[in-house]
This record gives sequence, C-alpha cells and structure tokens, in this order.
Amino acid sequence: MIRFLTNIGAAAIEKIRNLLYGLGFFFNVLKETTTFFRKRQVGFKVLVMQLLFTGFEALKISAVMALAIGAAINVIGSSFLPQFGQSKLMYSILIVIITRELGPLLTAFIVIARSGTAIATELGTMVVDHEIEAYLSVGINPIAYLVVPRFLGVVLSMGILSVYFNLFGLLGSYIIVQVIKPLNFQEYFGNLLTILSVGDVVSGLVKALVFGVIISVVSTFQGFSVARASTEIPVAGIKAVGQSFILCIIADVAITLVQYA
Amino acid sequence: MAQWSEPIIELSHVSASSGGFEILRDADASFYAGEITVVMGSAGAGKSTLLKAAAGLVVPDAGTVKFFGKSIASFNRKEELEFRRRTSYVFQDAALWANTSILGNLTLPLSVHCAWMNATEMERAARVVAEKVGYLESLSMRPAELSIGEQKLISLARALVTDPELVFMDDPTSHLDEDAVDRVFGILGELKMRDRTVIMVTNNSDIAFRHADRLGIVRDGVIPILGPYDEIVNNEAHEFVGIVSRLKIRGERTRGEKTSKETEQ
Repeated sequence: MIRFLTNIGAAAIEKIRNLLYGLGFFFNVLKETTTFFRKRQVGFKVLVMQLLFTGFEALKISAVMALAIGAAINVIGSSFLPQFGQSKLMYSILIVIITRELGPLLTAFIVIARSGTAIATELGTMVVDHEIEAYLSVGINPIAYLVVPRFLGVVLSMGILSVYFNLFGLLGSYIIVQVIKPLNFQEYFGNLLTILSVGDVVSGLVKALVFGVIISVVSTFQGFSVARASTEIPVAGIKAVGQSFILCIIADVAITLVQYA
Repeated sequence: MAQWSEPIIELSHVSASSGGFEILRDADASFYAGEITVVMGSAGAGKSTLLKAAAGLVVPDAGTVKFFGKSIASFNRKEELEFRRRTSYVFQDAALWANTSILGNLTLPLSVHCAWMNATEMERAARVVAEKVGYLESLSMRPAELSIGEQKLISLARALVTDPELVFMDDPTSHLDEDAVDRVFGILGELKMRDRTVIMVTNNSDIAFRHADRLGIVRDGVIPILGPYDEIVNNEAHEFVGIVSRLKIRGERTRGEKTSKETEQ
C-alpha cells in the first residue's frame, strides 16, 4: 500500500515538474519573442519557411474542408429550420458555427495534423543528431532561432487560415444555396454581413491565435523533450498531437464560456 | 607551453549525468592556452561528456566550469556570445545542420560572430576553410549527400571558419581516410604554431604521440591522470595504464614529425 502511494506521489511530482518546466519554456519563448524583431536576426528565413509551410501550403486543404463544412451546415439547416418557420436563422447559425466555432477549431486541427507533428519530429531529430548542441556551440540560442520563428509562423498562419476558412465556409454555403434556393450573391452576403458582428470576428480570431500559441509551444516543447534515441521522435510527434488537441478544445470551451457566461 | 599561467578552461569537482546515469564524477581538470591537450580513455569512460561540460554544452549536476577564471554558468547573454566567438566545437558525429547547404553550415557561424562581413566575403571565407580541410566538392550540397568522412571534414571547417582561440574536438579523426587524417594533423600543427588552444578527446594514440602537449586519461568518469605529455609518459607510476604504456613503447618523439603521406613521398 505504501509503495502504491509512493508511486502515485512520485508520478504526481513528475507531472508537476513537467508542467512547471513547460511553463518556464513558454515564458522563455515569450521573452525571446519580444526581442525577435529588434535583433539582427538569422531566424527570419526560418519564419518565412514556417509561414509558407503552415500557412500557404495548408490553403488547399483548408479551402476544401471549409467548402464542405459550409455546404453541410446549409444542407442540414435547410432541411430542419423551415419546419419551425425559422429559415432566417440560417444566417445566424452559419456565422456562429463557422466564424466563432468551427473556423478556428478545424483550422487548428489542420495545423496540428500538418505542422504540429512536423515541428515536433523535426526538432526531435535535430536533438538526436546533436544539431541543437551545434547551434549552442556557435552562440545561437535555439529558443530564439528555432522556436520563436515557428511560434510566430504558426500563430500568424492560424490567424490567416482562420479568416480564409471563414470565407470559404460561407462561400461553400452559398454554392449549396444556389442548388436549393437560388439567391442573389449580394443578397446572400448582405444578409450575412447584417448579422455578422465585430464580436464574431474578434471571437474567432482570438480563438485562432490562442490555438496557434498552444500548437506551436506544445509541438516545440515536445520536440525538445526528445533526449537521445530516435525511437523517441515519433513518440514526441504523437504527444504533440494529443496534447495540442486536448488543450485547444479546453481553450475553446474556456473562451466560449468567457464570451457567453 | 604556458602551464603555469591561468587555465583557459578549468573544471572543479564537476559531476554530470545522462539518462539517470552518472557519467562524470567529481572531475577536476585544467587546460592551458596555446596547448594541445589530448584526453584519452576507453569507450564510455566519459570523454565526450567531459568535453561537452568543458564547452558549456552539458550543464553539470555539480561543480563549476570556468573560462579564464569566470564560471560559464554565470555568463550573461553578451558574455556567452563572446565565449562562443572565442571557442568552437568539432562534434564526434559531425552534427551538421541538415536543413541547410554546406555553405549555409559554414557561413552561419560567420553571420553570428562576423556581422561586418557581407555575403560574398562569407562565401569566400567558407571556400577557403573548406579547401583547407580538403573538401573540394560543391558547397551547395546538403549534408545528407556527403559521406560521414566528408561531414566530419565540414564539421572541422565549421569550427575553424571563425578562427577561434580555443577549439574543442571530439574524436576529429574518426571516419576519416588516411589522407584526411594527415590533413587534420597538418591543421593541428598550424593551430599550434598560431598559439591556438585545442582540447581534444580521442582514441587515436597517433594524435597524442604527435601533437599532445598535455595528456589526460579518463576512466569511469574521473580523470586520474592529466599533465604534460612527457611527464605522464615517462612516469613509472603510470606504466600500468594501457594507453600510457602504448605511448611509451613508441619511444621518444620529435616535434614536427612527418605525416605518413610525407614519409611515403
């Protein structure tokens, strides 16, 4: 019994230690981010590459998913809402679901699947191959050179991709509207814009940026947590994905509660 | 030799561990400017950890590492950058940056420490140092396209490109062919002539025989022997140590001995 309790205690202490270490890592990233644009940097190239990979290269899949989701919401809404005489609610539902909820969340899932795993495994490989030590040996701070550009790249990409997802989500819905009940383009978007508030846009953007922070910090942290063996690299990738998913969903609920409570 | 002056690097009671295993145990060592110190020992004895601790790449569990009398753990960012400018490191497995070209590997240290150089000057400096170590292939290639021997040469070139005062070398001749080993010997001779300091760990007794001013032995995480080469090799108390006895068998050495290639010619 005592051994069992000892093991639980040791595991709890280890969890707390890891949490504190993770928080320390996060604050270190924030500290280095504040000086990133002031310093003569060799990390700008890494930032541009990260924006290309996380942002630009994800446009295609993001567009496909947004069109499909927008269309699906419209099909479901169009079959249910008229039964209650609430057809006009369609625009509110589209705005709330796409702009406030699914836009940032599905964008986060795309970024986690593509960039989260890539960042964690790339950094893990660099640790195993002693490339991180090589950066240290020439005086380059790995947080400033490797983490901050990825952090900024993912956060900025999340913001841009989220807006892009919203546009394509609403466009997908419009395409379906043309099949069910053809509407004038200006009338459709005019109705949407009447309902769309600054709060909707800000809410979606805040979520997207927070998710970007979570994904980049968790992925880089897991990448650096690889110690020696190459077998640890896929484990770091899996942990980066799992933890990012969970933390993004928790953050989503928390932000929604703050907005609506 | 300047062994009575202040050590350039000094380790005091340094212990270091990895993965829960203690690698270095209460190690003390002093390394002096202008000397080539060769540290030898069997595989797993703690040589690489010792070198990384001395270079500030491994944070010791206990003890201090000093650079010209100041603990490197107390360095602020500016002091750390200055330390890195004055030192460099040759990794055992090359540790080249895979995401950039050979040119990128050679110019990145320059962009950190020689900001006044423009891109053309950096490329020229990179070409000079690459040729010096015997790498004559394209600099636009990626590290993965090179053999491990070529990667080691580029790792050496990367360490020399900023012309540091102190070079840490982890087994610089492993994976190299004989010609390349001779070139490394030539570079060591040149560094010695220019009063540069080299702290090297290796299993190659030929390097110790030809170039060591000081010889160290690491065994089970401690450094039982470290001192001037001739004193160590000629000390009867150390004859039981395999490495020392093998060096002693090689006899008296004369500095500037010809390399094997030169002898053939």
